Amino acid sequence: MIRISLAAYAALLRLMPPGFRREFGAEAVADLGEILEEARKYEGQTVIGTALRACLDLLVRLPGAWWAELRPEPAGSGHGARDGRPGMGEGLMNVSRELRLAARTLARRPGFTGIAILTLALGIGANVAIFSIVDAILLQPLPYQDSDRIVEFRHHAPGLDLPELNSSPGLIALYREQASLYETIGAFGRGSANLTGGDEATRVQVLSAEPSLFDVLRVPPLMGRPFHADDATEEGSRAALLSYDTWRARFGSDPGIVGRTIELDGTPVEVVGVMPAGFAFPDDEVDLYRAMWVDPDGPFGSFGISTVARLAPGVSVEAAQARSRELLGRVPERFDMPESFLESAGFGVTVETRRDRVVADVESTLWIILGTVAFVLLIACANVANLFLVRAESRQKEMAVRAAMGAGRPSVAGAFLSESLLLGLGGGLLGVVFALGAVDWLLALGDLPREAEVGVGASSLLLAVGLSVVAGLSFGAIPMARYAGSRFAAVLRDGGRANTSGRERHRARNLLVATQLALGLVLLVGSGLMLRSFAELRAVDVGVRAEGVLTVGLNRNSGEAPETAARFYQEAADRIAALPGVERVGITTNVPLASGGANGGSFYIESRPRVEDELPPVALYRAVGPDYFESLGIPVLGGRSVERADWEESRRVVWVNRRFAETFFDGDAIGERIAWGVDTDENDAPLPDTPWAEIVGVVGDVREFGLQDEEMRPSAYFPLVVDGSADLEVETGFLTIRVAEGQDPSDFVAATRSVVRELAPDVPVTATRTMEEIVAEAMESVSATMIVLAVATAMALFLGAIGLAGVVSYVVGQRTREIGVRVALGAQAGDVSRMILRQSLGVTAAGTLLGIVGAWALTGLMEAILFQVSTTDPVTFVTAPLLLVSISLLATWVPVRRASRIDPIEALRSE
Amino acid sequence: MAGSGKRAGSRLKTAWFHILLALADGARHGYAIRSSVKERTDGAVKLYPATLYGSIRELSERGLIEPLEGDDDPDDDQRRRYYRLTKAGRDALAKEVERLQAILDEARATRALGGA
Repeated sequence: MIRISLAAYAALLRLMPPGFRREFGAEAVADLGEILEEARKYEGQTVIGTALRACLDLLVRLPGAWWAELRPEPAGSGHGARDGRPGMGEGLMNVSRELRLAARTLARRPGFTGIAILTLALGIGANVAIFSIVDAILLQPLPYQDSDRIVEFRHHAPGLDLPELNSSPGLIALYREQASLYETIGAFGRGSANLTGGDEATRVQVLSAEPSLFDVLRVPPLMGRPFHADDATEEGSRAALLSYDTWRARFGSDPGIVGRTIELDGTPVEVVGVMPAGFAFPDDEVDLYRAMWVDPDGPFGSFGISTVARLAPGVSVEAAQARSRELLGRVPERFDMPESFLESAGFGVTVETRRDRVVADVESTLWIILGTVAFVLLIACANVANLFLVRAESRQKEMAVRAAMGAGRPSVAGAFLSESLLLGLGGGLLGVVFALGAVDWLLALGDLPREAEVGVGASSLLLAVGLSVVAGLSFGAIPMARYAGSRFAAVLRDGGRANTSGRERHRARNLLVATQLALGLVLLVGSGLMLRSFAELRAVDVGVRAEGVLTVGLNRNSGEAPETAARFYQEAADRIAALPGVERVGITTNVPLASGGANGGSFYIESRPRVEDELPPVALYRAVGPDYFESLGIPVLGGRSVERADWEESRRVVWVNRRFAETFFDGDAIGERIAWGVDTDENDAPLPDTPWAEIVGVVGDVREFGLQDEEMRPSAYFPLVVDGSADLEVETGFLTIRVAEGQDPSDFVAATRSVVRELAPDVPVTATRTMEEIVAEAMESVSATMIVLAVATAMALFLGAIGLAGVVSYVVGQRTREIGVRVALGAQAGDVSRMILRQSLGVTAAGTLLGIVGAWALTGLMEAILFQVSTTDPVTFVTAPLLLVSISLLATWVPVRRASRIDPIEALRSE
Repeated sequence: MAGSGKRAGSRLKTAWFHILLALADGARHGYAIRSSVKERTDGAVKLYPATLYGSIRELSERGLIEPLEGDDDPDDDQRRRYYRLTKAGRDALAKEVERLQAILDEARATRALGGA
C-alpha cells in the first residue's frame, strides 16, 4: 500500500513546476515514505488516509508553487522581504496588473479573442448542458430516503408471446410473505378518472396506490395524513392524496383542503392529504393518488399492477433477485396451475433497483451523448490551441524584444498564462449561458425521466469552472512550452523567418488538425448510424395510414353500462362525421402505438379441443365500432368490416388480424369460432357461460407497442357491445377521425370539442393528437438522439473545418515568399495549388484513417440504441469518410486559391 | 517599504513561523523540521511535504533561511539538505514572537480584568 501511495504521490508531483521538482522532488517522496511508515507503526492511522492528506496538501499548494516559479522576479526582491514580511500585497498587485495587461492585449485583438471565446463556449456549454442532464438523471440518487434500497419487480413470460408483465395480486402476496427479503411492498397502478365537483369536469391522472407504497418510498404528505391500511378495502377506496401541483392549480392552494370531499368518476372520495412539491412518483404526470386494495387471496394472473419494495436490511438486490426466482417455483402448487407452466411460459422475474428501472431507457443514450460532446470540446480546444500556436509565433518577435529588455522568462510565460486563463474563464462564462438555453432545448426535444430534477446546478457550474481553468492553463502552456526551448536571440537575429524549429511547429499543428478531423469523423459515423436507424424506423410499416387522422379520447365514468357508452360514442361519431371536411369517424378502445396499446388475454378455439395442462393461446384484443378500420386505413383482407348493427344487436362476432389467422388457423380463419375469457380459478378452463364468437373478418396487421417491437402480434377486434362477453372496458373510447384529402386534421380539434360539449358537457375530451404525432412519438427516442448527435457533429465538423482552413491559410501566409519565388521561376498556378493541397490532403488522410479506426472501436457502444443497423454499417463507414474529405477539400479551397494567385512581385516586395 | 513592513496585524504564515522556530536551535533537514514541529505542537501542526518544501523555498527566497553548503553538512546523508536561520530570519522570528507576546499579554490583561 505504501509503495502504491508513493507512486501516486510521485505522479502527482509531476504537476508541480519543474523548478520545485528538481529541487525538492526526491526529498518530498522520501519524506512521505517515512511519514507513511510512521503513521502505520506508531500513530495507528491508516496509510491511505495519511497519503490522501499529503496528496491534498500537494494539490492545495499547486497554484502557489506555479506562481512562485513563474512570477516576474521583482528586481530587488531580497530587499522588500528582508524584514520577513511576505510580499503578499505586492504579489496581488502583480496579479491584477498582469490580468489587466492581459485583458488589454486580448481586447486589442477582438477577432482572435472573439473566436477563441466563442469556440470554447460552444464546447464547454455543450458539456455543461449534457452533464447537467446526466448528473440529475443518472448520477443523483432518486429523491427518496435510502433510494438504493427500493427495488421494482418485472415479470416476463416469453413463452406466452406477450410483452413484459408487471406484477399480479397473487405474486405480491407471495413476495409479501418473505419478510426477511422485503421490508415493505407497495403496489400501484395507473389510471385516469373524471374529477367533478369544480366548475368543469376534467380528466385527471390517478395513481391507485396501496397505502404501503408510501412506506416503501418513505415520503410523508406535506399536510394531512398518509393513507391508512383501512382507507382501501374490498368494497372500494374512500381516500385520496393530492399532488402538490393539483392542490395548487385546481384547488387554489386551499389550506382547508384536507377533509374535503371530491368526486372521482361520480364517487365521493375524501382528500386526506397533499403530497409535497417535487414528489413525482412514478412520474410528474400523476395528479392524485387514490388508496388501492390488493386482494391477498388474489389470482396469479391479471398483471395490471406494478410493484416496488424496500429491501430488508442486509439483503442485496442480487440476493433478492435470486430468492424471488426460487419463490416462483411455488407458483404451480400455490395457484393450482399445471406444473409445466413455468417452463412452457418461460416465466421469470427481474428484481432491479427503482433507479435502474427509471433510467433504463435513456442510460446508454445519455452516456453516448456525453461522450459525443466531450469530443466536441476536444475539437474546440484543438482549434483554440491552434489559434494560440499561430499567435504565439506571430508574437515571437514581441516576446523576444520583451525578453531582451529584461523581462524574465517567467514574466513572458505569465503574460501568456494570464491571457489564456482569461480566455478560458470567458469561454466558461459564455458556455454556462449557452448551457442554460441548451438544457431547455434538450428537455423539450425528448421525453426524459426525472425531468423536473434537471437543472444547471452547483456540480455543473463546478464542471464549467474546472473546464475553463484546465482549458485556460493548457492553452497557456502551449506557447510556454514553445518558448521554454526557443532561443530568443535566434528569433531576433533572423526575424523569425528561417528558424530551425519551423518544421517541427508545422508538425504540431498538423497533428492537432489531424486529431480534430479524426474526432470529427468518429462523431460523423455515430450520427450517420443514428440517421440510418431513423430511416429504418421511418420505413417500418405501422399498418395504418397515419396522415389525415385525428384521434380524440372521450372519457365516460367507469362502471357505466357498455350499451350507454357505445350509444354515446356512436352519437358523437355520427355528429362529427357530419362536419364538413370529415370523411369517416371510427370508434375504438385503444389507439395503436398510443394509450399503452391493446390489452392481452387468453382465449379458446372451438375447433381445437383444450388439452389438459396446456396453456390457452394468448392474443391482444380491443373493441371497435363501425368505420374504425376504414378511418385508419387498415385493410379488410377477408370477410366483412364492422357494421353498426354489430354492437346494436350485440352480435357474437369478432375480427382478427392476419397474424392471428396465420398463427391459429393457417390463414383461413373466417367462420371459425373462438371464446374469450378464462377462469383463472378453475385451472384456466373456459368460463362456463362465455359464448363463442364467430370470426367474420380478417384485417391487416398493425404495430401496437412500438415501431421497434420485432414482430406483429395476434390481435382480435370485438364489437363495442358483445352479448355476455368478457368485460371490455369501454369507459375510455377514442374516435379516429379521417379528414378529407388536403385538410389538416389538427384543424378539427375545436369543432370536435364543441360537438362533444353539446352532446355531453360532463365528458372531458382528452388526448387530441393526430395519428402522425403518435407515430412521430413512437420514433422519439431515436429521432431525439439523432438530432442531438447531428447537432454535436455539425458543431464538430464546423470547428474542424475552421481549424483546417486556418492551418492551410497560415501555411500559405508563411510560404508567400517561397511561392512568389517559385512563380517567378516559372511555376504555374496549378503547381502551386497542388503543392498546398498535397499538404492539406496529407493531414486529411491521416485524420480520416485515424477516425475510421476510432469509429470502428467506439461504435460498438451504440449497439443498444441502434435499430436494425449494424454498428459497422458499411454504408455509413464509406459515406462518412467521403463527407469528411469533401468538407476538408472545401475548407482548403479558399486558401489554396489565394496561394495560386500570389503575385511574385508583391510577394517578394513584402519583406 | 519600511512603512508597509510596520503594518499592524501583518504576521508570519503559520508554517513559516513553525519552520523558523524549528531551526532556532540549529540546522535541520526537511524531515527533521517536520518531526520537530509535530513534536512541539503535539501533533496539531503536521507539515506535509508540499507545504514543507514550498515554505522552505519561500523562506529561502526571502532570505530568512539558507541551505548549508556541502562541507557544513553535519551528517552523511547526501540526499538531505540542511537549512539554518539567517540573520534576517532570526530577526523575523524574534519580531513574530514579540508580536505574539503582545497579543498574549493583552489577552492575559483582559482575563485579569474579567477575573477581578
